[in-house]
Amino acid sequence: MSESARLERRYRRLLACYPPTARRENGEEILAVLLACAQDGQHRPGAAASVDLLKGAIHAWLWPSWPPRTVRTAVRLLVAAAVAQLAVLVITVVTAGSVHAAVAHASPGVATAQHAVTVNLVIDYVLDSLAVVVWLWRAWRLARGRDGARIRLAVNLTGFALGILVALGLGAAVYAPADLIAAVMTWLIVLVANVLLFSAAANRYYRPQPRPVTPWHGTSGT
Amino acid sequence: MQEATYLILTALAAGSQHGYGIITDVTDISDGRVQLRPGTLYTALDRLRADELITVDREQIVDNRLRRYYRLTPEGRGRLAEEAARLQANATAAVQRLRLTPGLSGGIA
Repeated sequence: MSESARLERRYRRLLACYPPTARRENGEEILAVLLACAQDGQHRPGAAASVDLLKGAIHAWLWPSWPPRTVRTAVRLLVAAAVAQLAVLVITVVTAGSVHAAVAHASPGVATAQHAVTVNLVIDYVLDSLAVVVWLWRAWRLARGRDGARIRLAVNLTGFALGILVALGLGAAVYAPADLIAAVMTWLIVLVANVLLFSAAANRYYRPQPRPVTPWHGTSGT
Repeated sequence: MQEATYLILTALAAGSQHGYGIITDVTDISDGRVQLRPGTLYTALDRLRADELITVDREQIVDNRLRRYYRLTPEGRGRLAEEAARLQANATAAVQRLRLTPGLSGGIA
């Protein structure tokens, strides 16, 4: 086997670290550039080139296809919403005592009122925790080009808005204004993210036109 | 804009180029200071294509190897022009201020 054939086989082994889609899309092209960059007589990949390819492969696994700027911004906003939601959870826990005190002041001696507050707070803890998980999960799926995640996020956003309206109906503006403000801010962040996800560039990303690709020849070196 | 991105767009400003051509051109433009490796180059090209700053111009098979040519989009040309103007303004400001402090000019006449 010639030196160039050995080098090609070794490069193919490194390129096999890329996800199948990335190999089909760019594998042959990257291989051609690697071989063009090789020095005369070189028969094994250099350490720096190997590390560079492995970094590229890790990147390709994490981001199978690069989203446009609007989608990247939306994903970052969703992560920010998760952080904000976590802050809401912390605020809810920290201000639980003051909510109880406000209810006791408004309805002194009414045990059912205190019981209702406790039940509502527990529901808040569960819903806030769930929201943190949902925003992060949606961000992950959207970054991986899942078209359905856009619709599901819109559904989540609607449910969240209804939750805020219910909280308003239960007097959250009086008893827990900090929680309410934080929840509305989080909702607005997710709303902006959702709007960005339906931009023209995002539509092209989530519903790409099929494009011919060059077949990947595996590691045979032929 | 990162320097590597700026140099890749600069390499494509005069016309379409394939991957190896971009690597050698970036090395020339930067006087050998920036040497792109293929893994880094194709990550950057994917991102620039996603942002619609570059696009695939054509594909060729040369010596049984795929050669894909990239070119700037009008948006990419605009972004490069903006960035070049910004860098030029910064450089001009730096040179003017260095001229105001004799003895600390760093070799600028």
